[in-house]
Amino acid sequence: MATTPRFQFTQGTSSYKTYKLLGYALLVLVLLIVALAYNDTGSITLFDNDYKISVPRVTKAISFMIAILGLQVVAGFTGQLSLGQGFFFGTGAYISAWLVGDHNWPWFATLLVIVPACFLIGLLFGLPALRIRGLYLALVTLGLAAVFPSLILLDVLEPYTAGAAGKQAKSALVPPGWLPLDGIIDGLHSLPLVGDFFGDGEGMSSKEEQRVWTFFLMVVLAVVCFKMVSNLIKSRPGRAIRAIRDNETSAAVNGISLSYYKTMSFGVASALGGVGGMVYVAELGIASSGDFTQLLSILFIVGMVVGGVGTLSGAVIGGLVIAFVPDWASSTQNFPGVPERWLQGPTGGLILGILLIVLTFVLPGGIIAGVRQIKAKFVRVLPARPELLATAGVGASTMSPLTDEAVVDAIDDPTTSSES
Amino acid sequence: MELFLNRISDGLSNGATYALIAMALVMIFKATTLINFAQGEFAMFGGFIVLVLATERGLPMWIAVVVGMLISAVLAAGIERTLIRPFDPADHLPLVIITLGLFLAINAIAGIVWRFDPRAFPELFPSGNALQWKTATLSWYTVGTVLTVLVVAGALTLLLNKTKVGLAFRAVSSNLESSELVGIKVGPTLQFGWAIAAAVGTLAVCVFVGTPIRQLEPNVMVTGLIFAVSAAALGGLDSLGGAIIGGLAIGLVQSIVVPYAGIPSELSLLAAVVVLMLVLVFKPSGLFGTPAVERV
Repeated sequence: MATTPRFQFTQGTSSYKTYKLLGYALLVLVLLIVALAYNDTGSITLFDNDYKISVPRVTKAISFMIAILGLQVVAGFTGQLSLGQGFFFGTGAYISAWLVGDHNWPWFATLLVIVPACFLIGLLFGLPALRIRGLYLALVTLGLAAVFPSLILLDVLEPYTAGAAGKQAKSALVPPGWLPLDGIIDGLHSLPLVGDFFGDGEGMSSKEEQRVWTFFLMVVLAVVCFKMVSNLIKSRPGRAIRAIRDNETSAAVNGISLSYYKTMSFGVASALGGVGGMVYVAELGIASSGDFTQLLSILFIVGMVVGGVGTLSGAVIGGLVIAFVPDWASSTQNFPGVPERWLQGPTGGLILGILLIVLTFVLPGGIIAGVRQIKAKFVRVLPARPELLATAGVGASTMSPLTDEAVVDAIDDPTTSSES
Repeated sequence: MELFLNRISDGLSNGATYALIAMALVMIFKATTLINFAQGEFAMFGGFIVLVLATERGLPMWIAVVVGMLISAVLAAGIERTLIRPFDPADHLPLVIITLGLFLAINAIAGIVWRFDPRAFPELFPSGNALQWKTATLSWYTVGTVLTVLVVAGALTLLLNKTKVGLAFRAVSSNLESSELVGIKVGPTLQFGWAIAAAVGTLAVCVFVGTPIRQLEPNVMVTGLIFAVSAAALGGLDSLGGAIIGGLAIGLVQSIVVPYAGIPSELSLLAAVVVLMLVLVFKPSGLFGTPAVERV
């Protein structure tokens, strides 16, 4: 590499730990700002258009993130192109809406049903995937996604799904009384300079509190999901599915059971899709069949590709993109140089379609690859120097955590590691 | 009995459309083993072009259809040249993503330009019935759609077997590398396939909505594509004849098996998906397709 990055860290040193810690602190800070600043009414005005960035929208983006995370497992890491993630998203959404709306379950308890149910349905659809490969699998799963709305509208299911009217599930997540949300927001409001962004100095209405609380809970849920998938990818099954993606034949030759891992990755992906659906309904309060068409499944693919196939952080970016781009496109009412007619129709779909094509040409690794290229100019992370076996004494056992992490970083972060 | 005959007639006319779209899919799949997920949207867009030519430019209907087919063929050829050819035909993922992007973009453009209100489409075939027996009728529309499929199939067979570009196309679909070695220009040949596919698709949509019971709107082919895909898979994805049989079979399943089995009509799409799944699990090469031989 010609230029030396401004910052350089070696894994395992204390400066690297500080660097990581700063990263996490920044993330928490951003989340706090998103949750507390602007709460509901927040918007950016640009060319006379209001672009809303309110907490419920971010919560919606989180539901998409979790679904895309599942898609990453099956499509990004196992290489099984599934266009049916919307089916499981919808299934999770309806199961939770039914349990919460009709049986007064708490939201998070529905996960106990959703996760096994979607996992099993996923396994079931993973079975044909053993024989159906590549494009054919994409076809079957796309068909599955297309069928979902008409399944929901079946007369037999009417008592559970409420048919075309949509299944209401109004059960707000109320923050516990000991949480001083009012105090926090008023404290932030009294800050100089930036205080005006935080509330109106009169505490939060109960609705605002519920929004913020929902957001926080869902962030925690999302973090748990991402951590679980990240652990999965770094462990033995993760290596197995990546081997299947890269070369099925050689994976099979190396003793990886293709059928086991393929169906399992389908199951995991479907379960995550269901969890995403639960988040979606918990935020929206209603599940309606029109939301879960095959278009949604295609949007998940868009999110995965735009974010970055086979990366976890790509799922975050992808979720934000597919949640906000169509929304902002429809709130753009006038834009210099663009005729009004082109702003009133389904501009979001057009932008996403073009974005998908353009990214495939210029940045096949998705936005995350671009971010990493830029980051690599400033920060370089070096793997820790392996200790000498003789002096370490314990040998392989002390080495393995370090090398394992380095390997994972290399896989998760191909641009930086290959350049460093 | 009369009901049964009427259902057969319905099934044939639906099946004919699926067969046409399936043939368009097969034209592209034969050569590149790629499924164009935007095929239905190409067709829908072509349908709108025909509608504009016929109603706003005042062309006679059939001339409008032919001109519309030519325009969509040129558009598809352009799309192939700019968006598809730069990619390695053997690597499917980027190509599938491009076609999904096209799906979203074309659907959105049609929605922006023509809005989502359904529009009546001029009838292509005489109204009324060709045959009538008690209450069972065989409309000219059904006759017309089935004839269209046969004419298109005949024309494609002639094109592929009697012309030089057809020969090149068959060579490329049989073996891409070898045909490149013997001096066939692979790119333009595949482009020819895309153009033909788009033209056939446009005709399919014109036939599909060219009856008073249906109207043209940007989402008209979104589920139609699923039916067409199962039709193509049933017939074997690389067989034109198979696409016709598959299309008619899916149409008949939709209009006969589904009502008689007591399945609600909204689930006819599910029937198509189940057919697709069964075919792919038990006979992936379809009824008339070439079985895939895998060398390790």
